[in-house]
Parts: sequence; structure tokens; C-alpha cells
Amino acid sequence: MASAEAEAVDFEPEDDDLMDEDVGDGSPNRGAAASIPRLKSAITGGGSSAPKKTKGRGFRDEAAAEADRHARMSARFDSLDSEGGPGPERSIEGWIILVTGVHEEAQEDDLQNAFGEFGEIKNLHLNLDRRTGFVKGYALIEFEKFDEAQRAISEMDGTELLTQTLNVDWAFSKGPFRRRNMRRRSPRGHRSRSPRRRF
Amino acid sequence: MADGGYDGDFYLRYYVGHKGKFGHEFLEFEFRPDGKLRYANNSNYKNDTMIRKEIFLTPAVLKECRRIVADSEITKEDDINWPEPDRVGRQELEIVMGNEHISFTTSKIGSLMDVQTSKDPEGLRIFYYLVQDLKCLVFSLISLHFKIKPI
Repeated sequence: MASAEAEAVDFEPEDDDLMDEDVGDGSPNRGAAASIPRLKSAITGGGSSAPKKTKGRGFRDEAAAEADRHARMSARFDSLDSEGGPGPERSIEGWIILVTGVHEEAQEDDLQNAFGEFGEIKNLHLNLDRRTGFVKGYALIEFEKFDEAQRAISEMDGTELLTQTLNVDWAFSKGPFRRRNMRRRSPRGHRSRSPRRRF
Repeated sequence: MADGGYDGDFYLRYYVGHKGKFGHEFLEFEFRPDGKLRYANNSNYKNDTMIRKEIFLTPAVLKECRRIVADSEITKEDDINWPEPDRVGRQELEIVMGNEHISFTTSKIGSLMDVQTSKDPEGLRIFYYLVQDLKCLVFSLISLHFKIKPI
């Protein structure tokens, strides 16, 4: 789709400059406008969303905080070479998939048994909830070969493990995804308002 | 997973650091709405290299991150009674999710004892555990992708 391509192109540069922009425009922004910080529109990528409810001391001295953040985060960040665009991104030693919906009492063995049949599992992170000590609900699994990871995704996504449905997908992507997603949700290019969350 | 659905904006940034005899030492990571995860770790103690890494995540990973945040109910809390950032250190947690935008700051929290003796132990405990769960996710992602030990 040609028009989608064009939009994706003009979206990326401004997104990349997000942190740098924050400093250049140091205009004082007090009074009523202060309750809708500038940061929000930059972060969320457009002015179309409804005003956000803001809370916290982080909004107090925003200009100084942004200058600090700029100093920290404006330098170059390393990434693995990537051609960009859609599709999964290879990691240094293999292909990483994300498993969600993992039962809190699942053991590493359960995942080894379920996913080991697609290839040797090079790495398995089954992280725990720091408060409860139970499984947090996700696992990251590394396969050496693309085909192994791909098969694990297509054959395990939607299956059950310990009575819970698993979702299995790639963990890393070659490029940004947001524009594609928005497009799918709203073909006319502006999004409808999100439903209110329960908090 | 009532709140895990991918709708609306999601942004999350966490910073912890202090300025001391080894300069400005900090750890910071950021999940951006387009899927980009940025991670920076500057520790001058053993060597003075700054680690800066970035990688695009799939919607599936952002969704899981969002679920973790939603389940914690952190946006119901308020940092007004939390210890102010001080010479020992500073933490910042900024989250944009749905209609909420929080930007909390507090001091470093050494242990649960600091949480217990604070003026808002319930709220601070939620912050304390959420931060640990987020760090855990980020360290796994960064170390698996780049094969480095993030800390």
C-alpha cells in the first residue's frame, strides 16, 4: 500500500527525535497548559488523543528534568544491524520468542517439554513475580534457528499449558510497528478514543 | 488479562541514579509507543563504559509489559507521601497508559525496610515490586538479544 508507506516514512524521523526535541523548545509552559505536559504529545505521537490525567512530582520541574534526560539519552544507542521494516529481528545468537499466559505454578521443565520438540532451547527465562515468588506470566525462549522458532510459534500459539491458554510470538522486530497497527484499527487515519480503563 | 489489550498509547520510562564520586551513575530504560526499547546503564565504578542499547519489540512484548503495569495498579497510587529524591539517589517512573499519565519520583529504596517505615508503605510497596518486575523483564530482553550482562 503506497500511502501507508509514505505515512510510515514521515512518522519515523519525528519519533526518533523525541528526546532531542524536548530540550529545544524551552518555552515556559505554566498555568492551565501545565496540566497537559508537552511531553505527552511527543510521546504519544500526535495531538489527537484526549487530554490525559496527570499525577506525580515528576511534573514539577519538567524543563530541568528534560534537560537532564536529554544529556543522558541523546547519545547514540547501539543496536544490531537491521534492515528495518516489519518482520522478526535476529538476536546475536539466535531467535527469541515470547510466551505469555504462562501459569504461575509452571516450572522450567513444563516449558522445556512443550517447546523442546521444535529444537534445542538455547536459553529459557521464566521470570518470577518479585512479590509472590510465583511465575510472572511470561517466558522468553531462544532457539538457534529461525525455522525452529517459527514452528514453535505457529504450533504453540493458542494451545493450553496447565489449564491456561498460551500466546506465542516473536519478541523482537526489525522496525517500529505503531503506524501499521493504528492503520488497521482505524482506516481513516485518526483513532477513536480508547475505552476508559478500570482505574 | 482484562487490561492487556493493545489499545491507546503506552509509554514507560524508569530511571534510577545518583551523582557521586564516580560521576553520574544511572540506569534508565524506556518503552516507546512504536515498540522501541532503549536501555542505558552508566556505571563508572569498575569501568567507565556507558552501555546504550536499543531494539524494537513486537506488539506482543509491549502488551505483556502493559499487562504487568496494569495488574500492579500503580496508576492508582500517588508519590506525594513518598520519600523525596536525595543525595543518595533518585528514581523516576513515568508511564502513559490509556488516559493516565503518571510521573513519580522518589529516593532510592534499599530494602523493604525503607518501604515499611515510609509514610505510604502500601503505595511504595507497589512501586518497589513493579520496578523490580520491569527491570527483570528488561534485563532478560537486553541480555538475550545482545548477550550482555546488563548489571
